[in-house]
Order: sequence, then structure tokens, then C-alpha cells
Amino acid sequence: MDPLSPAVIVNAELLPFYVGRRVRTVMQVVRSDVLAVIGKSPDEKQLIVKGSPPAPLTSFVEVIGIVNSDKSIKAELWTNFGDEIDMLSYHKLCQLANGEFKHLFL
Amino acid sequence: MHANQFDGNAAFAGGGFMPSQTNQGGESSLTPSKNRESQTLLPLTIKQINHALQSSDDRTGLTIDGVGVNTVTLVGRVCNKSGQITEFKFVLDDGTGTIECTKWLHEPADAMAVESILNGMYVRLYGQLKGFQGKTLSIFSLRPVTDFNEIASHFIECIYVHLYNSRLQYTQASIPSQQHAPNSIQITPTKGYQAQAIPPNQFSGQHNNGQKSVQELVLEYLALPTIRCILKVVLFSFISLTPITYN
Repeated sequence: MDPLSPAVIVNAELLPFYVGRRVRTVMQVVRSDVLAVIGKSPDEKQLIVKGSPPAPLTSFVEVIGIVNSDKSIKAELWTNFGDEIDMLSYHKLCQLANGEFKHLFL
Repeated sequence: MHANQFDGNAAFAGGGFMPSQTNQGGESSLTPSKNRESQTLLPLTIKQINHALQSSDDRTGLTIDGVGVNTVTLVGRVCNKSGQITEFKFVLDDGTGTIECTKWLHEPADAMAVESILNGMYVRLYGQLKGFQGKTLSIFSLRPVTDFNEIASHFIECIYVHLYNSRLQYTQASIPSQQHAPNSIQITPTKGYQAQAIPPNQFSGQHNNGQKSVQELVLEYLALPTIRCILKVVLFSFISLTPITYN
């Protein structure tokens, strides 16, 4: 398994800034099929992740991949995060990690 | 309470990552990492470690935000694991960078514990930087992450400790007379911060007008489930830049 760093922690509103770059985010799975998963980002917006998810998928899944457009990510790695993730805290972390404390992460 | 102070050490007494107050006052001109009394445990991102290594002078020991780096704690994914009988090696990837890690296997219990660690797994580890220019992490303790809120929690902790130590550095730099008097009264970071910042009365006045008071907000948070409570208290304290009370 190869390292996938650096991967910026993002939510949906930050995707347009990182098109073509590797990012990571946690999303709540809404619908999944063989080619893509549609989910809710930490800031409650729709996110489309292309790729083959592992089966079974838990309610929350972390995705690391390359940003395709301002709404979709092409997944490189999926990790099941279980059924109880605090999305608000993750959303706040995204804002801090891309704002005032960016120098700690990138 | 007598004043609005956020006593970081009291609030996180169990955590162990706050630098010792007794040594922060008179120590800035010494080498903190060599002082036995200031054995710190710092939650860090790998980017912070790599950045500090690049800009450090090896002789004085590694410091981050003015604090000597002794033990560190990281959370990340295991990659490229390789095992031999005496050691368990892998690369830790936390999304901000990568670092090589080694856990020495002294007892059969160690070997059994690492058997269950697989590539791609998220782990929490505690260790020390070793090797030439500190490029390898020698691990004391390693365990898989089971509640994935720990990942966000760890990064939020890194931000908080960075902010706390940076403010400490700033207030010490602004109080030069106390720096050179090691036998003087111990400086608590909160007192130093108050001396330089806007007096807290101004903040509490603003909060009490038409909004919930800081105390009420804190009591609300304390009623929440534990993880969210901890995360929100941490976020609230530095987002609002207001000292908070625990009464």
C-alpha cells in the first residue's frame, strides 16, 4: 500500500480550489452503485465520488482521491469509517485546516 | 470565579500533552529538549515534524513552537509495512506527510500486538524521533483506531496545542524581564496572555448583551455527548479568542 500524501482535508465548498489535486474527505453515504457513490459532504452538500467502493459500505466513508470537478472526486482509496462520525467537527476541522492553520497541514 | 481564565493544564490534566508550566518561564534561553523536567508529549502532524527538521540546528535539539520535542503522538495510515523478528517497520501517512516508523519487538506480546496491524489501517502511535536528523520514529505504543472520530480529534488537538504554544511564545517574548529571572514567580500562560491581551471584562460584556453568556454556552456543551463536547470546547476556545471558565 503506497502513501497518498499530501492529501488536503476538504469539504464540498473547498473542492473548486483543488481541482486536479489529491484531497480527502469523509462523507455520509446516500446512494451507492457499482461505478459511483453519492453522498453528503461535511458541509451538507452533495458529493459524487467515482470509483468502485468496497462492499459493504458503512454509513460514513473516507475517500482519498483526485478532484474532477467542483462536485466530484475520482477515488483512489476508500475507508469505512463506521456509523457514528461527528460531521460538524470534521467540517470545522476542514475550515481550520484550510484557513488559519493551513501551515500545519500542507 | 475571580477572573475569566482558561487554565489549560487543569482542563486537560489527564492528557499530558501540555508543556510543564514551571519550566516555560525561565527556560526560553536554554535548550528545552535537554531539560529533564520538561518532558513533553506533543500531538503533531507529520508536516510539522518535517518542517521543523528542515529548519532546525541539530545541536540544540528539535523545537516546535518554542517547545522541546520529546515524545510525539501521531494518527495516520500504515503503509509499506515490513516485519522481521526483532522489529516492525512501516511508513505512517497522515495526509500531511509521511514518516518512517519502527517498533522494536522485545517480547512475544509485542509481536502479537503488531500482527493485527495491516496496511491501510489507521493507527494511533506514541514515539520519539530518532536517527540522523530525526527521520525515523521509534515507537513506544501502537494501536489501531477503532472510533474514527479520533482522526479529526487528533488534528484538532494539533491545532490547539500549536495555538497554545505559539501564544505562550508570544507572551514570553513580550515580557523580557521575566524571561531572565529563572527564580521568579512561575508564569502561567494564561496570566501572561491576559497581561498582553484586551482585558477579559470587555469580552464578557459583549457576550452578555442579547446572547447567551459564555458560561451558559459552556454548560450546554458539557451536556453534549463526550466526543463532541471535547471537540467543541477546543474549537470554541480559540475560534472566539475568549478565555472560558469552567464553573
